[in-house]
Amino acid sequence: MITKNKTVATILGVAVLSLVLAACGSSSSSSSSTNSASTSGTISGAGSTFAAPVYEQWGSQISGLTVNYQAVGSGAGVTALEGKTVDFGASDPPLKEEEETALGKVGEPVQIPMFLGAITVSYNLPGVSAGLKLDGKTIADIYLGKIKTWDDAAIKALNPGVNLPSTPITVIHRSDSSGTSAGFTGFLAAVDPEWESKVGSGKDVPWPTGTGAKGNAGVAGAVQQTTGAVGYVEQAYALQHKFTTADVKNKSGKFVAPSLQSTSAAAEGIELPANLGFAIKNPSSPQAYPITSQTFVVVFKDMCKAGIPGGKSAAEGVVKFLNYGLNEGQSILAQADYAALPSAILSKSKEAVASLQCEGSPLS
Amino acid sequence: MERSPLARLPDRALKYGLTSLAALILILIVYFFERLFVEAHPAFSAAGLFGFVFGNNWNVSAEHFGALPLVVGTLITSALALLMGVPIAVAAALYLTELCPRRLLAPLTILIELLAAVPSVVYGLWGIFFLAPKLQPAEQWVADRLSFIPFIGGGVVTIPNYFVAGLILAIMILPIVSAIAREVMTTVPPDHKEAALGLGATRWEMVRMAVIPYCRPGIVGGAMLGLGRAIGETIAVTIVIGNAPQLGRHLFGQGYTLAAVIANEFGEATGLHRSALFAEALVLFVLTLLVNALARIFVVRTARGSRTPIVGPGEAPGDLQAAVAVGA
Amino acid sequence: MSALPIGTPPIPGDRLARFAVSSRRRRTDRAARGLLLAATLIALIPLGLILYYLIVKGLGAWSWSFFTTDPTGNTFFKSESIGGIKSAIIGTIEMVALASLIAVPVGVGVALWLVEYGQPRWFAHAVRFFIDVLTGVPSIVFGLFIYIALVVGTGSSYAGYKGSLALSLLMLPVVTRSAEVVLQLVPNALRESALALGAARWKVIFRVVLPTALTGMLTGVLLAVARAAGETAPLLFAAGATNKSTTDLGQFMNALPTQIYKDVTSPTESVVNRAWGAALTLVTMILILNLIARLIARRSRFA
Repeated sequence: MITKNKTVATILGVAVLSLVLAACGSSSSSSSSTNSASTSGTISGAGSTFAAPVYEQWGSQISGLTVNYQAVGSGAGVTALEGKTVDFGASDPPLKEEEETALGKVGEPVQIPMFLGAITVSYNLPGVSAGLKLDGKTIADIYLGKIKTWDDAAIKALNPGVNLPSTPITVIHRSDSSGTSAGFTGFLAAVDPEWESKVGSGKDVPWPTGTGAKGNAGVAGAVQQTTGAVGYVEQAYALQHKFTTADVKNKSGKFVAPSLQSTSAAAEGIELPANLGFAIKNPSSPQAYPITSQTFVVVFKDMCKAGIPGGKSAAEGVVKFLNYGLNEGQSILAQADYAALPSAILSKSKEAVASLQCEGSPLS
Repeated sequence: MERSPLARLPDRALKYGLTSLAALILILIVYFFERLFVEAHPAFSAAGLFGFVFGNNWNVSAEHFGALPLVVGTLITSALALLMGVPIAVAAALYLTELCPRRLLAPLTILIELLAAVPSVVYGLWGIFFLAPKLQPAEQWVADRLSFIPFIGGGVVTIPNYFVAGLILAIMILPIVSAIAREVMTTVPPDHKEAALGLGATRWEMVRMAVIPYCRPGIVGGAMLGLGRAIGETIAVTIVIGNAPQLGRHLFGQGYTLAAVIANEFGEATGLHRSALFAEALVLFVLTLLVNALARIFVVRTARGSRTPIVGPGEAPGDLQAAVAVGA
Repeated sequence: MSALPIGTPPIPGDRLARFAVSSRRRRTDRAARGLLLAATLIALIPLGLILYYLIVKGLGAWSWSFFTTDPTGNTFFKSESIGGIKSAIIGTIEMVALASLIAVPVGVGVALWLVEYGQPRWFAHAVRFFIDVLTGVPSIVFGLFIYIALVVGTGSSYAGYKGSLALSLLMLPVVTRSAEVVLQLVPNALRESALALGAARWKVIFRVVLPTALTGMLTGVLLAVARAAGETAPLLFAAGATNKSTTDLGQFMNALPTQIYKDVTSPTESVVNRAWGAALTLVTMILILNLIARLIARRSRFA
């Protein structure tokens, strides 16, 4: 009997072992040399979590190309590109100087704006419909903890005729480092000097008050759960969860609701630096929704020379991917509530893609 | 008993094989710490070792990294997890081994171990969307009624807080502590138990006199594994703790732990910030180490008191050594 | 007072009165039994709640295509399918299997060495020291270590086997520690009698010590496997994320926890449902593994 069950166990063990060895064996030819690490038609990327659904969607639309994207965060994505562990990186904020220098040691970096997203100010106030008017200073005061209830005089002044309850405001912010926080605090710092000096802007700030929730989904969930809550969430989440969102006052003095058009308008008239690394801060266009963020794909100008893991086939794949994204890709963005680039920036992005090379020869 | 050198070969091979394995693992782990230390070094030199560990300010945008609030937060949540989880786990293990009807033993065991199969992200989400809101009224009541007790009473009760995090961690460590306790309890020699019963002890007294002292080192070992899990748990904690890097003053207020910070901030961290996160990981190791060392001392001390002979790990009692020396 | 014969079934509380046990001791006994039962039920309540939550949220996602198609990457178009979790299931099975193949022999080996040999003393203490510290390492740090050592350092990219390595590091302290606890409890009398009968040391270990400790070690291993199967962080930095199914451990590999983590934060409702379906799948898989392992163990025991 012992022998019988030992036999069973041995057979199972051998079966698992051979399965694993077979898997390892089939990889030994490809995993050692860097240039053939990917099967043809596969590219890998890492970075922004905000952009992840879009890049995956674009990847699924392009036949013959597999896009493997890890949403590890913008910072980790840039580091991954620097380490040549992926073919392209994705970052919401434009590259910092030290990031550019670090990447420059591997190969000349190129950042390509891809699309935009609005950051809504969502609130949970039964009885108050969407479109509550708020301006930058009021939002900053709420997040500083100075405005504590919804029927505060400052909010009432902006919304005459709206019946505001005396519910206390529960402030929700992000607990994790994120580009969304950077966009939101960037706006507050630009419009409120007190916020700028007390808190500042960035992916991770010392929030004076409020509860921290993890990720857009966490903030969205917290807002949904708590009456009287206010939180900043990406447009896609707000629209899909059907949140009531505030109309925010822009630089021209108009109260604008977050919509795909007002988001695209935010990037109009922006002066693009030479490396295309722009960040939208309090846009000037009258139709603009003021709290908007951008996202970039970061690649090396000469991908093959820099030594990306996928080699030449991946370089070609990346260009195919980028071209799709900047053409048909822009038109399907609306399906998931992301906003397309305005034409001025879009053409610059396309130019940047056209300049990409492999060992000196252009790829497009 | 004479044995030819050839017959001794498998023994030698096993001994040297296992010894080399242990050595290899040791080298690997040392390499692991070396790599992490290299990454962490810039943060330590920027703030100084004491400045980093005991500095009370974690401010990313100002590039100021003092980890004290996080250390305190980790201690609070781990203590909560152990306080709530270990007694329940041990009690459940006792029930299963001593009192449970035979037929229910297997199903109940599997059920408790099923708690280990739930992914940590599910624990976090269940915690924040189901458990934490349900607990809030009760927490508010406790905070109001017991406001004279520092740390528990007074203060604002937020939905994500230390208590919920500790509770979720306690649930997460239940299976491992319980499973190891159970395994240990089933190996109690029957004569120990029968001797107690034979002397007229009630069931509970038998457990108290014969089972628990015998199992203590094993239970502590299980608890240390549970503690390790509690200290190092990232995803579940970060979802339910509120992530506020301030010194924990209230049980029902928001907090932060070392592991949660690493999980939250790593994706976006560069340069000094990244280094600081690695430095935190090292602080975590030291913490784990200290608690484990204390636990081992505790086991040895209490063993000296009780009458159960503790054979030290790796020690063979005299007879065994003699037998080995003879050439077995 | 008469001694109880060996093998007497437990005496129900109130019959203790016949044996002149004081009522205070009887009450304590009954109270203690009640508390122990209560503790067990308390331990099971969260399980019940979580399973209920998982089933309610996840069962709806289950379907034949759920298990047999890969995620498509499509989240925008409601008319097109978002796909299932096939690549995640395959990836988890392969990566966890490889991780176990590494961690279990190594862990048991180290525990054996600690208990059976353990010389020189300082060396044993060092090994124990470092394994202890490993128990508290956050899972993300294992992923980062593999990332630094094997991904960035060598200029090669993510791979399934690298994820397995990260997972095996995660499993190692659990397997080692629990095996150590159980092996220490094997009575020395067993070892001594086998040796006295003339058995070689290695035979004593393999034929006497290990089989005795087998069920205990199996428990530790199963718990380590359950943990490894449910962790995302180590995989994200070592195995890479992908949607395609592959059995090739040298390529990017998907896994259930990675898929869950990715999907559960999505704004699209059907994708979130897929996450819960995947979570339910993972728990079910571990349950099945547990049942099979125990079945095999029990049959070889009674054989």
